[in-house]
Amino acid sequence: MATDVSKSPEDGGIGSSVKTKARRYRELQFTDAEMAVMLISPGLLFLAVISYYPILDTVWTSLHQGSVLLTRSETWVGLENYQTVIDDDSFWNAFKVSMIYTFVSVPIEMVLGLGLAILINRNFRGRYVALGAILFPWALPTIINAEIFAWLFHGQYGVINDILVRIGILDETFSFLAKPDAALYSMLFVTIWKTTSFVALILLAGLQSIPSDLYEAAKIDGASKIRRFWHVTLPLLKPVILVALIFRTLPAFQVFGLPYGLTDGGPGESTTTLVLWAHRETFNSLNFSEGAAAANLITIMALIICLIYVVVLYEPEVR
Amino acid sequence: MSVRTRLQELREGKSRQFGEKVGFYFLIVLLCLVSFFPVLWILRTALMPPADVVQFPVTYIPESPTLQNFQDAFDQQPLGRYLFNSFVVASGTAVLCVVLGSMMGYALARLEFRFKLPILMLILVSAMLPFFGRLIPLFELALEYDFLNSYFGLIIPYTAFQLPFAVWIFQAYFKELPDSLEEAGRIDGLTHLGVLFRIILPVSAPAMATTAVIVFIFAWNEFLFALTFMSEQKMYTVTVGIALYGGQFQNPWGTIMAAVFMAIVPLILLLVLFQTKIIEGLTEGIGK
Repeated sequence: MATDVSKSPEDGGIGSSVKTKARRYRELQFTDAEMAVMLISPGLLFLAVISYYPILDTVWTSLHQGSVLLTRSETWVGLENYQTVIDDDSFWNAFKVSMIYTFVSVPIEMVLGLGLAILINRNFRGRYVALGAILFPWALPTIINAEIFAWLFHGQYGVINDILVRIGILDETFSFLAKPDAALYSMLFVTIWKTTSFVALILLAGLQSIPSDLYEAAKIDGASKIRRFWHVTLPLLKPVILVALIFRTLPAFQVFGLPYGLTDGGPGESTTTLVLWAHRETFNSLNFSEGAAAANLITIMALIICLIYVVVLYEPEVR
Repeated sequence: MSVRTRLQELREGKSRQFGEKVGFYFLIVLLCLVSFFPVLWILRTALMPPADVVQFPVTYIPESPTLQNFQDAFDQQPLGRYLFNSFVVASGTAVLCVVLGSMMGYALARLEFRFKLPILMLILVSAMLPFFGRLIPLFELALEYDFLNSYFGLIIPYTAFQLPFAVWIFQAYFKELPDSLEEAGRIDGLTHLGVLFRIILPVSAPAMATTAVIVFIFAWNEFLFALTFMSEQKMYTVTVGIALYGGQFQNPWGTIMAAVFMAIVPLILLLVLFQTKIIEGLTEGIGK
């Protein structure tokens, strides 16, 4: 630590003799820059090793011949691993599932979340309970949520079947999770149930930051409720909507626990998402090079989606 | 005449207000019902004798409630151990995130130094990196350095995942503190370190609570890394233990739901105790 500090760029100026610096240190007196180095370097080192190094390592692994567990292959094969992944039909099936999952669930969550945020954006008795109802689905672990809904959707004894039969929508029990389309819809239902609340929380914070005099002004100008929503609320909420979109799309595109616990990717591969597929490919066959190639493809796709959002929605200096 | 119409208007206005209120509370009740129904159903299933669980049409209220499922959940698998493992990993992650996050957050918010913006960007961008892209190299690292099936094998990556969030919360909190606080300390002859430990540390409790609670929930809930890194049953976290349960027993739904209930009790407690803090934390910086 001490050597770190002495290398700090801010000190070692003109007259600062070694003696006074040593004395300063002995008295535990540091400049801002020295303090910053001490406070920031441990965490930064952490991020370098655990977050940035693995991303680079995955790129390296993906460009070399089939590395299997701990036997690192040094043979450069270029994009061959990517070719193998791209030629695999099940990869494209997983891609399709992930795309449907993401781009059906996220827009629905946005609309419902906005409705919920507007509903709750006022003072009322029982607000604490309502906020609790919003937070609860967010706090549930995805995998446990999947187990819970696997039980609620159960084909023989599930309560959802019971309710639908009782109110006459179904004549007899239906195996939601055993039919490809129904399983995918069920998975969408579960994720919308769980994550709409998070969207609502983010948008609620956005709504509360809109100054009320803007509404007053619009009201005086004779704008109706609907016009105020379209011309005041929505434009001002745009940056917050962008944040919520990115916060939801990234995890949705990488979903793993929900299909793992709800359907195990089935029936067939109808609910196998990209990460579930890649996890299986990697850890069942222990072919880390192909797994790394798949991981990079997923990373690149996620980044492209975010980039599109930013290009479409970002406006520097709104207002 | 005019008095009567005004009264009428008033009454109409009031009844419209009343109608709106009824509609509003109807929606709130619906929201609560939809949100809390699963937890009620978990409890209902967990409290039923196994034979009653597998019946159709289903019974909504357990007729002869029993704690048998809870007993089974703890007997058939080391559920207590799973809960303990999760608790150790989640607390360890929360502590490490608070320590590192507060250090970095303080420096970024209150100190003058070069490269501040690039460092902040580096920290925040790391939050966007996909998890699966980091899983394979970290698994190999953990294997090489014998971190598989150990608490630190999970605490270390979890800390890295949540550190950007922790830094975000702390730097926002420290930015709001008045300058006079530090100045007073300086006048009293405290050094930089003295100011940090004697003045800043004691007032940062709210930010610490927010960070710790949310990081704890994240670590408690994580599944992908826990499944991959913990292969010995006695090291399973509760999410892994529950996900890999079943199969070996017939109709284990009552037992699974009892285990699920035990796994979410800590979360419910945290929500009840820290609701406001959690909401503040999740929405820090939104709309500013």
